[in-house]
Amino acid sequence: MKKRETIDWDRAHGTHVEFVFDGRVQVNGEAGLLNYLLGTSLVNPHLTLHYKLPDQENVTIERVSQEVPAIPDATEPHPHTMKLGEFIAHSHLYGRVKVSAWLKKGFSRLGDAVFDEMSKNKDFGLNKAFFERNVDQLSNAEFEKLFSAIQKTELKPPSTSSVLSIGEDSLSKSIQRLGKVDFFSVVSRKPAICDFKPVQVEVAIARLEQRTQDSDSPVQLLRFANRVPLQFDKSACAIASAITTVNWRSYGLGQPKESLPQGPYIFAVSVVSPFIKFKNASKETIDASDELVEEIRRALMQAGQKLSRYINAENKAADLEEKRRYIEQFGPILVEGLARITNAKEETKKRAREGLLKILGRDANETEKELSVANEKLKVQRAKEGDAEMDEA
Amino acid sequence: MQTQINRKGGKVKSEIPIISKELCLRLLADLERAKRPVLHATKCSLDNAIYNHKVGYLTPGSKKVATELNVSSVKKMSRAIFMLEILLRNIETGAVNTKRELYYISKGEIKGTPMLKPLDFADQPESDDTIDFICELIECYREDVNCYANDRGGQTYSQQLIVTETLPDGTTATIDLSKLGTSPFQPKNRPQNLRLSASKKIDFALIVESEGTANTLVANGFTKRHNCILIGSQGVPSNAVRGWSKLIQDQLKTPMYFFGDLDAYTLQNIYRTLKAGSAASLIRNQDYSAPDVRFLGVLPEDIKKYDLFDYPVRESDAQEGRALKKADDALKNDPFFQDKKNKGLADILKWLLKNKRRCEQQSYFSVNPKDPTMPEKIIVEKIKRGDYV
Repeated sequence: MKKRETIDWDRAHGTHVEFVFDGRVQVNGEAGLLNYLLGTSLVNPHLTLHYKLPDQENVTIERVSQEVPAIPDATEPHPHTMKLGEFIAHSHLYGRVKVSAWLKKGFSRLGDAVFDEMSKNKDFGLNKAFFERNVDQLSNAEFEKLFSAIQKTELKPPSTSSVLSIGEDSLSKSIQRLGKVDFFSVVSRKPAICDFKPVQVEVAIARLEQRTQDSDSPVQLLRFANRVPLQFDKSACAIASAITTVNWRSYGLGQPKESLPQGPYIFAVSVVSPFIKFKNASKETIDASDELVEEIRRALMQAGQKLSRYINAENKAADLEEKRRYIEQFGPILVEGLARITNAKEETKKRAREGLLKILGRDANETEKELSVANEKLKVQRAKEGDAEMDEA
Repeated sequence: MQTQINRKGGKVKSEIPIISKELCLRLLADLERAKRPVLHATKCSLDNAIYNHKVGYLTPGSKKVATELNVSSVKKMSRAIFMLEILLRNIETGAVNTKRELYYISKGEIKGTPMLKPLDFADQPESDDTIDFICELIECYREDVNCYANDRGGQTYSQQLIVTETLPDGTTATIDLSKLGTSPFQPKNRPQNLRLSASKKIDFALIVESEGTANTLVANGFTKRHNCILIGSQGVPSNAVRGWSKLIQDQLKTPMYFFGDLDAYTLQNIYRTLKAGSAASLIRNQDYSAPDVRFLGVLPEDIKKYDLFDYPVRESDAQEGRALKKADDALKNDPFFQDKKNKGLADILKWLLKNKRRCEQQSYFSVNPKDPTMPEKIIVEKIKRGDYV
């Protein structure tokens, strides 16, 4: 560091940094610069990105959201994110106050309704008077009793304002900046608690129109931790673990055993939390704890269900097309073959051909019905997502 | 639609065109009425196999595989009718072909007729499946539609056996195996055209799993010292070996023994196929199995008795691991090994599963390395003592 200076910043946001570095730049590939830029633009819909790579034209990726995300306000801890020791230590910050006052002030998602519920539950052994006692008079056993009761009581999940989520709407717009997409599916889970920490998982899956890879190549996976692209050590990451444990075949994607699904898809998974537990100091990989993997799995499965409606409708359409082609191709061949072996007359051949078309036509009609059902389901989903107008346009 | 069968030994060739035409007429009649035709073929799998020791081989149960004409099956049916036409032409002209040749013939036909392009076979397994489907439909042997496999295995040596072959033109050829010198007789996979006789009483027939070991035994004078027939099966017995063994059993009524490795693969895939046929060929086991063949060894007790070299089965080896798993399945599902009469064979499978060891037929050569005829002595001694299953 040659020079250090502190300045007062008079604007809401915006930073200009300029530096020169000398080295080999890896542009392509999973760990390449382009992938980093692509990922960054995906999880920052408000970002307009201008870049120029050596020997290439200037590139601009326009912002798709005018809303600059606000930095979340500090909130009180959610009681389910604490361990007993932390819980007791937390009380010491408040001095002599009533238990109810301490719980209301010191935590989020605790209030009179929750205290009522706890005092009514005989298993907890906490009456109303307990909440009116002074917190500094509680013994360790009583703290333990209170802590256990809170853990066993169902509370609202942490507030969405406590984490900086992207949101389904913004993600839907942003994912279309990755290239021309056939269809996509986005899911923003509500914040949940994993390993005593609030976490929000968001998933975006898109199928690219341009098939640059083989259909049996693994999907392109973009991983994010607090909006920062993770580009190394994919296999050990909680996100990769979660994806490989989902049965993607049931959603219409190919998937070798215990591997990433296959096809021209981009899977983007973002994990946001005030406390992400990384596997290493370089913050390349999110630690794959059971609770976090399960939460990511749920988000992926929700996204998979949405995606399967597109794939299902597409498969049905392909099925119908194939059936029509089969009728056209094989009908005459079969009848001609049978006629040659049996020396059938022209009249017999004609009737058989007509009969065969009727039989096969019935099959095609069945598929046509299935296709309209699949399309109807898709329409409902699109309407829900508010995409109907965009598609019509 | 279901054709009626079944007479002994499959169908007479002259019946095939008639049955085929009936089948096609029924299909056409159904189509004319816009009725969906359904073809029924015998289900050739273990769950449709019945074993009765009095019959001696695996026979088909009542299960049928129904193929209904719909958009999904129209390709399969069109291919079957297309291939049937080729086969009927072969029957008419007397031409014979292997499956591979039929694959190329069909490709040639398609090349010359652009309308048939959608029927084109991507590879041989596709055309093989079509041929098998036709055979299952009209319940005939592949040979009945003039489709012959390569005559693999079955090289036969004997100083007493005389074979009379009826040729397609009605003339006969006589082959005296004692006059062939060191050359073996190679049976055809349609051995029903052969008549067998013996210049001298034949005491036994020995089928050896390894072709090489069979040759060694002959080279060391086995067939000179014993009035016998010696056959090399060359692994899993081909149709030629199976039909040939059945012929020897029926026409010569001579005791027959099988000598092979002591492992699950030999017992299930080689010996069981030779003795009782296979689940995949349920409709043809009648003519392609020799139920009187006994398992001479290697038996589990031989290992101790002759101090043979055996070694553990490597479960990590894919093939050996699969064989063990199949042995377990066979004990649970294979009616052949479940039959009380075959308890001795099932016990060998259980021994193999329990001990996870195997012993090769060539280990007999370790008993007295200086005596090249030692394996022969052990084999003959075992036959004399009735030391077989």
